[in-house]
Amino acid sequence: MYMKKTINYRPVLLGLASILAAASPVLAADDPPPPAATRTAEIEAARDAKAADLTPDEDSKVERAFIKINQDKRIMRLFAAGYSGFGLAIGNMVTGGGFAIGPKYSRPDLLNGNLTVDVSAQVSTKKYYQVLGEVDAPKLFNNHLELNFLGAHRNFSSIDYYGRGPDSEKSKRTNYRMEDTAFGAIGIVKPVRYVSVGGAVGGLLVNVGPGTNSIYASTDTVFTEANTPGLQQQTNFIRSGVFGQVDFRDNPGGPKSGGLYNLQYNWYDDYELGQFGFRRMDIDAQQFVPFLNKTHRLALRARATFTESDGKQVTPFYLQPVLGGADDLRGFRPFRFSDRDRVVYNAEYQWEIFAGLEGAVFFDAGKVMPRRSLLAFSNLETDAGFGLRFNARDTTFLRVDIGFSHEGFMVTAVFSDFFRSRRLGATREAIY
Amino acid sequence: MKALTLLILAAAGLSAQRFYSDDPLEFEPKPYPVKDAHSRKLSDYYDLLNNQFRTVGQRQPKKGEPIRARAVNTMGEPLQGAWWQKRHYYQRMSIEELKRIAPPEALPSMSSKWTVISAKNEGVTPGFTIVDANKRMFYVKFDPLGNPEMATTADTVTSRFFWALGYHVPHNNLVHFKPDQLVLGSDVTLPDRNGKPRKMTRADLLEILLKVPKGADGTYRATASEALPGKPIGPPRYNGIRTDDPNDVVPHEHRRDQRALHVIDAWLDHDDSRAINNLDALVTADGVSYIKHYQLDFGSTLGSGSTRANSPRSGVYFFEWKSSAKQMFTLGALPPYWQFAKYPNYPSLGNFEWKVFDPEKWVPEYHNPAFLNRLPDDEFWGAKLVTAFSDEDIRAIVSMGQLTDKKAEEWLVECLIQRRDKIGRVYFAKVLPLDKFTVDGGELSWVDLGASLKYLPAADVSVQWYNFDNSSGARTPIAGQTSKSIPTVASGYALAQLTDRASPSHKIDVVLHYEGGVAKVVGLERYW
Repeated sequence: MYMKKTINYRPVLLGLASILAAASPVLAADDPPPPAATRTAEIEAARDAKAADLTPDEDSKVERAFIKINQDKRIMRLFAAGYSGFGLAIGNMVTGGGFAIGPKYSRPDLLNGNLTVDVSAQVSTKKYYQVLGEVDAPKLFNNHLELNFLGAHRNFSSIDYYGRGPDSEKSKRTNYRMEDTAFGAIGIVKPVRYVSVGGAVGGLLVNVGPGTNSIYASTDTVFTEANTPGLQQQTNFIRSGVFGQVDFRDNPGGPKSGGLYNLQYNWYDDYELGQFGFRRMDIDAQQFVPFLNKTHRLALRARATFTESDGKQVTPFYLQPVLGGADDLRGFRPFRFSDRDRVVYNAEYQWEIFAGLEGAVFFDAGKVMPRRSLLAFSNLETDAGFGLRFNARDTTFLRVDIGFSHEGFMVTAVFSDFFRSRRLGATREAIY
Repeated sequence: MKALTLLILAAAGLSAQRFYSDDPLEFEPKPYPVKDAHSRKLSDYYDLLNNQFRTVGQRQPKKGEPIRARAVNTMGEPLQGAWWQKRHYYQRMSIEELKRIAPPEALPSMSSKWTVISAKNEGVTPGFTIVDANKRMFYVKFDPLGNPEMATTADTVTSRFFWALGYHVPHNNLVHFKPDQLVLGSDVTLPDRNGKPRKMTRADLLEILLKVPKGADGTYRATASEALPGKPIGPPRYNGIRTDDPNDVVPHEHRRDQRALHVIDAWLDHDDSRAINNLDALVTADGVSYIKHYQLDFGSTLGSGSTRANSPRSGVYFFEWKSSAKQMFTLGALPPYWQFAKYPNYPSLGNFEWKVFDPEKWVPEYHNPAFLNRLPDDEFWGAKLVTAFSDEDIRAIVSMGQLTDKKAEEWLVECLIQRRDKIGRVYFAKVLPLDKFTVDGGELSWVDLGASLKYLPAADVSVQWYNFDNSSGARTPIAGQTSKSIPTVASGYALAQLTDRASPSHKIDVVLHYEGGVAKVVGLERYW
């Protein structure tokens, strides 16, 4: 058996050496023979042998590289917080916008953390552009008041549009350019733990143009001003609103228990044309039901948006609520449905696969509608699917979902949690 | 070639006599002087990846004779010295002695202000290094805001257990102080947002204190861990040897005092038991410099995760191929046992329980080569140290954690008692749990640990005596010698083989050496 083609004798010999050396309990297999008549001498002989062959105790090259990265916290900071405040803004532009990246300048440390400044500029693989700037004072009056000032400019060159209403056809896919500039101020009062109330005021300047995705028709070549209000003529708004929120989730970055209940009401005043003014109410309710030590949970969400306008004014198509994509109906294409009102329900079962990875099975149902009276649980578009959530420090930094619907399937990868909270004072999730 | 050399050397060792005149050796021989030991660093991430995804150190063979623990004497006891020394199991300490493990003298002096000589303001575990009036240095560590008393209790209590178990640890004592107890030393720096050092200010110091719980009386509770003597030279790994230490001749994965830490760490839920939480220090004793090995940093024990309550994953690996695949493809429908644990809501404890605790299933956060090499006799050794703590002993040591919530304290005590008992029941059943062998009144006597601690029924033991040839290891049965009475031998060696009649594979060989007509137990080997 020894003569078989066992070229590598080392494991065999080491094994034998181990067995034989077991007769000498004090010494290791690589100890020298005991020349002396005491156990002490035996150990000392082993030490003698080793002392004659001491070498510096050094780490491997790979470990040294790890240590250098670990010690030189600048490298870690570069990824986490950037250098001198400069870093990279990755992802989270708009659903269907592709992978977005760009420079950012972030200073959460000003006035001992009492003032933060964030500025970023991103471009996506679909050549969407976005510039954001924000100044925030989050700890005023002993953490009871937060004041926030923000501005944004975005230029999304090919937002999909399928026409208005729940019966819009998939084959009617078109695209348009959405360009807008928003600015505003938000005040948030936090009277007690979990509760926030406040208001916001600002402006929204909008421009819409032909879409650049040549595979599909440009919206303006298929739809008309009559069935798509705002297509030919855009306007600017003064936007104001109030909101209230109760948030008792255990961890907003990746909630495992608790709930979030948010209501926002906004007025869009078309001060320029007086044709497109409207009011918008957003409701977002999330509840997390954990079991088995929060390693499993049911995550439930209901969202509804209602718009209404007075007299001859109408809600422009580019500000109508939409459904479809990574943030609501995951088995449908982004912006697949739009109308004056919408409602969507999401149920997700999540479970831990190992530390840092969770699985998810989900079911989504929702619809858009021209009137609030059609809110009933009927004629809902549905999808189902599964996904993975990659976590670090209890925060989801990447999720991958595959959703299936009667219109096909969608694979999405997003750098945020599905159940993230809406920005208070924001009126359209695509921006804020 | 190296392996061949090892074989020859080991074979040469085989021809040597089994017992020497100084067996069983109690202490490591006087250490060889260590002249030049460099401080060796460790990357936490590398350690995790290396241990998790590679086979580190020499592992037990899949077939054949296992590799028994080394660095033990002929009685199977680790040699006392740089790694470990005999304490509570061998010489019971009184309640008062247990409470004084970290004596009040080890506290930083309050007679004058403490000078902060360095600080950590990053992350969620702020801390200081201070020097007191007596020029002694201490590391001051705090609790997380959401879990007052949790990490400091864990650090205080577990360090005492480890000391009583025989390991070398720093003295960790609780301190309460007000901010005016601290003065900033000169030239203390903190990293700025780009990692460059900048001068630390009093405002920085007060800001750090904002991140930790403050008592109603305005004091801050912390553990003051006295700096270890000597020069710190980095953490010892759980595998291999230091190539610059002439005294470190046994791979760490084969040391009994390291293998058995699995049992101890399971008891105390020290799932953070990785190399980074150990420390080698170059110390000098009797004029000789040598490397002493310490266990450190017990803030992540007893349900604490240092910065928050420990994850319910405690006691399982971060990642395992098999269980991960099982969870993924069953959609979590076959939850592992640990997910059924129920943790009472004690913020000062974190997540600690005993009902689903299984000492054999418990593992640290990632693979540990010494733990993975453990054999039933290693586990027995660890279990006998753990079970040496009576209920009163446990209560006394836990009281040093000074938990305000007495219900939490009672729960901690109950968990430690119940976990200890599970360990005793599991590991004493894997071998013949007899120990403390002596010759008394012409008989070989022992203590049945399983029975005396009421974990197992009394072992029904058969005895067979042999003449033992020390030069060859050959044994010859002595006819009629099947009782505890020792045979009459003028000089030389006799061997008693004790067999558990209920589990015949559970045996113990006990070797007696006769000198001048007096018999002494010199050797012990367990089989299972």
